[in-house]
Amino acid sequence: MRPGEDILLAVDRVTLGYGGAPILSDVSLEVRAGEFWFLLGPNGEGKTTFLRAVLGALAPSSGRLALDAVLADRAALGFVPQRCAPNPILPTTVREFVGLGLVGLTLAAAERAARLEWALAHAGLAGFERQSYWALSGGQRQRALVARALVRRPRLLVLDEPTNHLDFLIEAGILALLADLQREERTAILFVTHALHLAERYATHVALFHGGAVEAGPAAELLRAERLARAYGQQP
Amino acid sequence: MIAEFVASWGLFRDAYLCGWLIAALLAVVGVLVVARNQIFLGAAVAQASTLGIALGMWIGSAFGVGGLTGDHAHGALSLIGVVFAILAALLTARGSSGGAGEAATGWVFLAAASGAVLVLAASPHGLEEISHLVSSSIIGASPADVWLFAALALLSAGGVLLQRDRLLLFAIDPAMADAVGMRAGFWNAAIAAWLGLAVGLSMRATGLLYTFGCLVLPPLAATALCRESAPLFWVAPLLAVACSAAGFVLANHFDLPPAQMAVALQAGLVAVVWSLRRIRGLGG
Repeated sequence: MRPGEDILLAVDRVTLGYGGAPILSDVSLEVRAGEFWFLLGPNGEGKTTFLRAVLGALAPSSGRLALDAVLADRAALGFVPQRCAPNPILPTTVREFVGLGLVGLTLAAAERAARLEWALAHAGLAGFERQSYWALSGGQRQRALVARALVRRPRLLVLDEPTNHLDFLIEAGILALLADLQREERTAILFVTHALHLAERYATHVALFHGGAVEAGPAAELLRAERLARAYGQQP
Repeated sequence: MIAEFVASWGLFRDAYLCGWLIAALLAVVGVLVVARNQIFLGAAVAQASTLGIALGMWIGSAFGVGGLTGDHAHGALSLIGVVFAILAALLTARGSSGGAGEAATGWVFLAAASGAVLVLAASPHGLEEISHLVSSSIIGASPADVWLFAALALLSAGGVLLQRDRLLLFAIDPAMADAVGMRAGFWNAAIAAWLGLAVGLSMRATGLLYTFGCLVLPPLAATALCRESAPLFWVAPLLAVACSAAGFVLANHFDLPPAQMAVALQAGLVAVVWSLRRIRGLGG
């Protein structure tokens, strides 16, 4: 990491794969505070593999992937998985579900309460604390997942297709929330999606996954018809 | 009725205490089994322990291994039962409850259930032992068993007190748990070892029915009584001990087998609280 540049994630010529077979090769990119990255590309091109490496669940077979010191202990790293399917007979309230995002953090009770209140308010779930998680709609549950990541007050927020199967209004609400975080808290965001229209509206940076390689850079450079057509295997 | 139970205390003290401690211990572990939607895993692990005990008895009689035969075999057979239970839990508890995990659970249950009988088919005494393990009896516990299960129950309570939120997050969302730095392999192995140890030791002391009943039924009843998951860790053992206490008193009065009576009460409790919850849900 170069000091003073606000780089939260530095990926330098990284190769990733399973059992010796590479999925991604020679990946390089740098994520800075306040950047909104969209990770785009067809299914099976390694987007989730890349996220696993960022989250520490998969070690690079070569190259260097480094998180800033503030993220090293995962305290300021938030994650919203593609789906979360708890056993439906398990009783839980919105407050308890979101509070589980604080696992691994040593905080005073007042700080825990303040973070919960802040996360619920930002996710549009203020007033739902005591409600059963199972009484929430699909969109509200997705917001609860986002709130669970937000209680960590993340500097880097990683989201794996969080708006899949949600209707347009709910999707727009979640994206507006993320854009607020990026602007007001300077949270860096890595967002995996297939929705190009969202990238065109919100992305500051884009990573295009295709053929085992990743093209990464400012959104204005990468969100061009010919580049997208190449990534998605179509004629421009 | 109570006076009769008190009168029987001197004779069955160790059995009663052991039964209550096992009920509390298994109900705590069972919260995780239920939370991870792996109820059938409890039966498979218990059955694997039975196979281990059967193999130990067979080796003892076929090869004349002194530690595995006679009155002093209890400890060695318990150890083998625990090892088999832990191995089964490790084999079946990897990953989530669905797909390959469920298939492995079914395979372990069926292979262990058939294997335990086949191994001892030629030994009338051995088959009697297997039948005894499957049908369950709490009578015969020793003071050493009481101390052992008291220590295990205390350790489990301490572990839950310190790691409750981690355990819940891992049960509810392993992907998120991984992302916040919990190592999935370590936690899977630790939970499997805890389950295998509790079930394996309990199998030798009380048998399959009581072990499986206490593992699953009190946590299921608790899910209908609690609004959040965290209290399940103390409500479930409380219900387990209450049902066992009532079961032992009733069994003593009506001269019925206590383990079966306790499990029947637990099953009745689940039916009542789930029905009440359903009625409340329909009304509200």
